[in-house]
Amino acid sequence: MSIAIFRAMLLGLLRDRGALLMSFVLPAVFFVIMAEIFTATTGDSLNLNVAVLDEVRDETSARLLSALDDSANLRVTRLDNAGDADREMLRKMVRNGVADVGLLLPADADPLDSPGGFGPEPIVIVSDPAKAVAVPMLTGQIRQAYFGGLPDVAMGSVVEELENQFLSLTEEQRAEVDDGLTEMRADAEAGRSTGWSFEDMLAYDEVAGDGGELNLVAYSAGAVAFMFLLFASVHGAVSLLEEQESGVLDRVLAGPGGIAVLVNGKFLYLVLQGVLQVGVIFVVAWLGYGLDLPSHVLPWFVVTVVASCTAAGLAMLLATACRTRRQAQTIANTAILVVSALGGSMVPRIFMPEALQKVGWLTPNTWALEAYSGIFWRQDSLIEIAAPVGAMFGTALLAWLAANWIAQVRVHGSRGQVTAAHPPEKVIQKEIRARSAAN
Amino acid sequence: MSHSPTAAGGPNPPLLQISQAVKMLGGWRALDGVDLDLYPGEILVLLGPNGAGKSTLLATACGRIALDSGEVRLAGQDPRRHAEVRSRLGFVPQHLAVYPYLSVRENLEVFGRMMGVSRATLHERVDEAIRWAGLADRSDAHCETLSGGMRRRLNIVASLLHHPDVVLLDEPTVGVDMSARERVHELLRRLRANGLAMLLTTHDLSQAEALADRVAVMLDGRICLQGSPSELIHREFDTRQELKIVLRDVPDDSGVSLLQELELKPAHGSITWSGPVSSDLAHVGELTSRLQQAGLRTAEVRVREACLEGVLLRATGEELRL
Repeated sequence: MSIAIFRAMLLGLLRDRGALLMSFVLPAVFFVIMAEIFTATTGDSLNLNVAVLDEVRDETSARLLSALDDSANLRVTRLDNAGDADREMLRKMVRNGVADVGLLLPADADPLDSPGGFGPEPIVIVSDPAKAVAVPMLTGQIRQAYFGGLPDVAMGSVVEELENQFLSLTEEQRAEVDDGLTEMRADAEAGRSTGWSFEDMLAYDEVAGDGGELNLVAYSAGAVAFMFLLFASVHGAVSLLEEQESGVLDRVLAGPGGIAVLVNGKFLYLVLQGVLQVGVIFVVAWLGYGLDLPSHVLPWFVVTVVASCTAAGLAMLLATACRTRRQAQTIANTAILVVSALGGSMVPRIFMPEALQKVGWLTPNTWALEAYSGIFWRQDSLIEIAAPVGAMFGTALLAWLAANWIAQVRVHGSRGQVTAAHPPEKVIQKEIRARSAAN
Repeated sequence: MSHSPTAAGGPNPPLLQISQAVKMLGGWRALDGVDLDLYPGEILVLLGPNGAGKSTLLATACGRIALDSGEVRLAGQDPRRHAEVRSRLGFVPQHLAVYPYLSVRENLEVFGRMMGVSRATLHERVDEAIRWAGLADRSDAHCETLSGGMRRRLNIVASLLHHPDVVLLDEPTVGVDMSARERVHELLRRLRANGLAMLLTTHDLSQAEALADRVAVMLDGRICLQGSPSELIHREFDTRQELKIVLRDVPDDSGVSLLQELELKPAHGSITWSGPVSSDLAHVGELTSRLQQAGLRTAEVRVREACLEGVLLRATGEELRL
């Protein structure tokens, strides 16, 4: 009997282009947008937009800016040097958001190739407090450009400071230093390591299974998928309240199957719809972003079925507990947005304060994300992701049982409360009171 | 729909028995000792004003509401305790309880399966229901494209796919025009001829007169009148006609005494009075003269053949309108 309601819902979806679009196209489009954002902002390239004003315009400043130009992480916009008016222009570009951050090499400052600390600083970073994160990012890039692209200048400053503070070089030593600095410059310009760059001291060891971009694709696929699972499941589940209003519920309740036919038929349908919906998103992640879905298809399927059961169970619980569609939609929209924000479907949880990260563990979004991240990021087996999958399964089971129980109580409750199109008690009480008042 | 025809109220035992049904709702007696039997092959029309207890009685008959006392027996069993006996029951909701985006055939297939019809017989039952509803040429049309009358007929046959013995119909023709209503009546008469027992609520008195084998009038949770339409009319008016008087003012005590002396009963706050009257027009003229002499100003005086409306007006003090 439940298969009948399953079929009715499926045909309803297939004949409703708007619902099809909302269920399968919108989540995929939303995922692509999220994936583009994540991969663009946290991949190999920072893509920081920097406005640069060089008032010095000597060989050293030109070399520094050339080194910055070579950085893949920066998009450099140079302003023509035309005095103080251009400083204001630089500030305006940052203030208006045309540039993320500004770099000023002032003419009235210490030179770049001498030890600093005597006059105004030779490098000024113009920043907008709203984009404070751009400052350390640019600082790091300047440091890298200075020591990597201008090692002779950096070393020359050190030698000069050494002479100023501690010792005097002989003519012979000075010649050797000059030769060494010339050699360093040649190495740097040839792209060879000079041993002076801080980067030369670093090695990287990534603990994830795949590359950084793919990690975030897997993360955003799971994040978007579960949030839309919740929305789509609620949309399908509230059709129970539409059936209450239309009288279909009355018709079915009079039959032998009772309310369980509707609740379980809808639950089954929502699980299938959820699996297809999540499937579309992960196929886009596979074909569009190289996520290795084929190698992980079995654990992915298990997690997806359990996640769909969770969303379907919670949605059916809501639909059976609410009295009107409007009530259900209001509660659902609020709850889904909150758990999606806390659970990491909107912003990765690593960006959240520790307290919010802990609260996030109470949301099904976090469990789903942990399970998907485990599969695609850490290459975990099903055993290793048993905790989040178990939490989802337990929630699904409890929600499904509760939905059935609430539906039974509301239909055949001891006090005769019913959820039919015309709740007789309510109608009768209201009308009798009205008649009494009139008399 | 292979039901064996039987005479209404005949020797067969009742299919639906409601005995001494009492249901309290928030201090009100929504059902106050209702006794009602429904026999194979009869249409029992339940009349009464809003709030009289009709919907509660239907919900009770379905087993949806537990009684505080009394009992409901469907084919000898309590439908609340025995879910399987509910397969002998069909319920036609007042609203058009069909899926608008499905075709006629798809709707019937869905509801057939929901009501437990096996896959093996589903196709045959659906074809049968489509024939009964007269929708053979529209069987693949989406419901949202059907006329109101067609949807009403579909709404009825969607509750018959499992071949119930008893069908409860909650205002089955509300909101349809006369022609569509007549086609629904025709369908219900054919179902009755096939032995189906139908309990039907309506506010449409002409429908009750056209269809009912028996009428039960509910008021304040009780069945205050029960019998065939002709019996009820005869009981209330004998062979006389019905006189209905609408006064311009509320009568004083002497006026009320006079009206009661003339066998008239009040409705609508003592403005409307009705009762039996001789068909002799001279007698009517004499009666109205007496009213005028007593200072009662009349807005309307009407004499007509006695009908259920008059019975109901006298029984409940309220008029039911289409």
